[in-house]
Amino acid sequence: MISFTLNGTRVETDADPDTLLLIYLREEAGLTGTKYGCGVAMCGACMIHMEDNPMFSCQITLAGVAGLNIKTIEGLSEDGNHPLQKAWVAEQVPQCGYCQSGQIMRAAALLDTNPTPSESEIREWMSTNLCRCSTYNRIVKAVQRASKEISS
Amino acid sequence: MTDSIRVSRRFFLKAGSAAAVGLAMGGFRLEAYAEDDADAVFAGWVEIHPDNSVHILFPSTEMGQGSETGLPLILADELDADWERVSIHQLNEDDRRFGNPAFGRVLYTAGSSAVYGYFEVLRQAGAHLRDMMRQRVADEWGVDLDTLATSNNNVTHAASGRRISYGEVVALPGFSQTRLNQPAELKTHEQFTLIGKPVPRRDIPNKSTGKAKFAIDVRVPDMLYATVIRAPVEGESVASLNDKAARATKDVVDVITLPDGVAVIAKTMHASFAGRSKLKVSWTETSPFRNHSSDKTLEAYKRVAEGEQPGEAWRSSGDVNAALETADQIIDETYTSDYAYHAQIEPMAAVARVDPDGKGAEIWVGSQTQSWTMRTATQVLQTTPDRIKLNMMTMGGGFGRRTELMQNYVRDALLCSKASKQAVKVVWTRTDDIKFGAFRPAAAQRMRAGLDSNGRLVGFHHRVATPSVIQYFNPVRWRQVAPNDIVSMRGAENKFYNIDDFLAEHVITERHARILPWRGIGAAYTSFAAEAFIDEVAARAGVDPFAFRKSIMTDNPRGVALLDKVQTMSAAVPLTEGRARGLAFAGYGDTQAAGVAEISVDRKSGEIRVHHVWVAVDAGLIVSPDNAHNQIEGGVLWGVSSALYERVTITNGQVDQQNFFDYVLLRNNRAPAIDIHISKNNERPTQVGEAGNPMVAPAVANAFFALTGRRIRHLPFTPDRVLKVLA
Repeated sequence: MISFTLNGTRVETDADPDTLLLIYLREEAGLTGTKYGCGVAMCGACMIHMEDNPMFSCQITLAGVAGLNIKTIEGLSEDGNHPLQKAWVAEQVPQCGYCQSGQIMRAAALLDTNPTPSESEIREWMSTNLCRCSTYNRIVKAVQRASKEISS
Repeated sequence: MTDSIRVSRRFFLKAGSAAAVGLAMGGFRLEAYAEDDADAVFAGWVEIHPDNSVHILFPSTEMGQGSETGLPLILADELDADWERVSIHQLNEDDRRFGNPAFGRVLYTAGSSAVYGYFEVLRQAGAHLRDMMRQRVADEWGVDLDTLATSNNNVTHAASGRRISYGEVVALPGFSQTRLNQPAELKTHEQFTLIGKPVPRRDIPNKSTGKAKFAIDVRVPDMLYATVIRAPVEGESVASLNDKAARATKDVVDVITLPDGVAVIAKTMHASFAGRSKLKVSWTETSPFRNHSSDKTLEAYKRVAEGEQPGEAWRSSGDVNAALETADQIIDETYTSDYAYHAQIEPMAAVARVDPDGKGAEIWVGSQTQSWTMRTATQVLQTTPDRIKLNMMTMGGGFGRRTELMQNYVRDALLCSKASKQAVKVVWTRTDDIKFGAFRPAAAQRMRAGLDSNGRLVGFHHRVATPSVIQYFNPVRWRQVAPNDIVSMRGAENKFYNIDDFLAEHVITERHARILPWRGIGAAYTSFAAEAFIDEVAARAGVDPFAFRKSIMTDNPRGVALLDKVQTMSAAVPLTEGRARGLAFAGYGDTQAAGVAEISVDRKSGEIRVHHVWVAVDAGLIVSPDNAHNQIEGGVLWGVSSALYERVTITNGQVDQQNFFDYVLLRNNRAPAIDIHISKNNERPTQVGEAGNPMVAPAVANAFFALTGRRIRHLPFTPDRVLKVLA
């Protein structure tokens, strides 16, 4: 039995401790906002927060999260009203949308520690996350918009 | 979509209280159209319910291009619907009444064709229902039709100040029998209220919260999971299988042999992966594809391009050989391009629940075609379409990957579900997705052009040696179109220039890999060769690249305007020292696009960096301007990624790449600044989704020449190739 905190709620599971957190979240907990893209920490579609740090959930097993705080896109805000989510809508960022949960979680971790990043800081930070529709420039604009809201 | 609002002929026959445009509502028939039965065109597109809600059918599938908003919006505009009251309903069956007019009415979302294919029919359907409602109100109130206006789900009579909602109109007795005395009049472009306006996409909020559901996210009761180990080389199958350890894995339910692989079916995805890793499989190893490696394939294609084998004329005018005979000098170069992978971030996935008798199924899948997904299912289960229920899910990228006639990820889900008698989700790993991917074909292109003694172009010969994509991925279509392969050849028609003596021909080469349409289709490499070559010809003629292109664009003022525009845009930004700029003119289909790329080259590492791209695009009337901007920007960056990095190699029939560490894609820190101008005009809407990428590779190649004086003629421009060219 492994227990940890998922989006603010304590959960217990008897799933195989070797199960990837990504697979647990998607197929056991039903939190499908976190996506599978590559399984090797190269695309960022599976990005979540572990103890407020951005992590590739495809690289963590359940055993590795025992006792820790995990946050997914579903726990980022109530009703999608995080400044980044509002900015994502305002800038009309997503195309296919598949990578965007990971992009938003990655960006949220940036603004948590650096509320006013420069453009190049944003681009470097966000380069862990692939977007095949190539919405990169709108992602930058949306992070800047959210940064303004947070810091004003 | 719930059963009560399912947009289908069956529904219309049952639902007496809802008005629908079409034949099914009580035998409605429009007199003016009766002779050719053209009113059938309107059937089923839209419903208005007495609660004043408007329900519009979405006939394409959504993969990020935005037509899930853009298409219904066209109808809603002509209908004068209140957009807030409009709900959008995915078409989930192979109902060819709603087939794409640009694809012979097959339900097929590709070729950037949704808006241009459906534009007229959607407008007519919306206008027709709008005028039906005006007519019914005119009859009810005893006023002239011309005195009634519509807006925001209301019919209004200005003189009396009366107003009635659409929901109330359709509830009037006998509404469905309303006949128009004349065909509905379409709006003028000035009257549009939604088309061309900044209307947000409907899908974006759910794509910003993780709520959007893709096929890979689907969970149904009692669902099992399957992953498949596949034959490493096309055309091979299982020779021997030891599945003892796999079957002994906790929660593994079954191991079944597929035509080209072995599936491990388990209660959890974790167990399916664990079981799969314990399979011991040997393969037949007899496939002729084992003789093929991509470097040798490209050399072979190059020999074909430079040889004498006649090709199939793709576009021909005048007599190119005679013209070249008269030339003062001939420029003759060969361009090559590698295989490229779609790399959609959602790997192939499908869920199927096969009925106990094995002859019916419900399927959840992201595909670019209801028609071919249905065909896959009926072929696999040897059944009829009425036994198949499709759920077309929004796709985590398409780019051509999900267009196949036979969709083997759907096939696998069906076979696994049939064997296990439970619902099964099949998910490909990233490595499966690339190893068993189907690619933009490798190509070799020989270009010849002549210059007369005045430096004027006389004759242009574009010879493309590449396999037929259609012949492989859709043999049914090939029988209709052979030997003309638009997927392999698009762009080579070079129709934006006016060259008297011109020949583009397709020398169909032997296929050595799985191939599919890939964003931009043929234009992704034919425009590279054509536009890089035109730059070479211009340089040989000693003419500036803008002026030379304009000199051969004698009957295309819209194209000239784009060249002027992109020149002005780029000239407004001073060139950074150590960089250079290159021009290309490409576009896609009927959409014209001019682009300028500013690059630098690291002469030690061989890395090209693209710093800034300016583009000017003319795609006629733009339905969704902000989305068009997003699509073009994405297309430009796709072009940068494919120009610099993207390359699949094959050794003895097996794909060498495994994941995103060896199939490299553009990342945010290498994305250039992009300035986009989209022409505002009222011409027929044309393609947008694939207009951004074809111009990028040649613009980068031409900038490379401007910077280094060297030509780079092999796509992609990887550092090793750059260093070789600079040596």
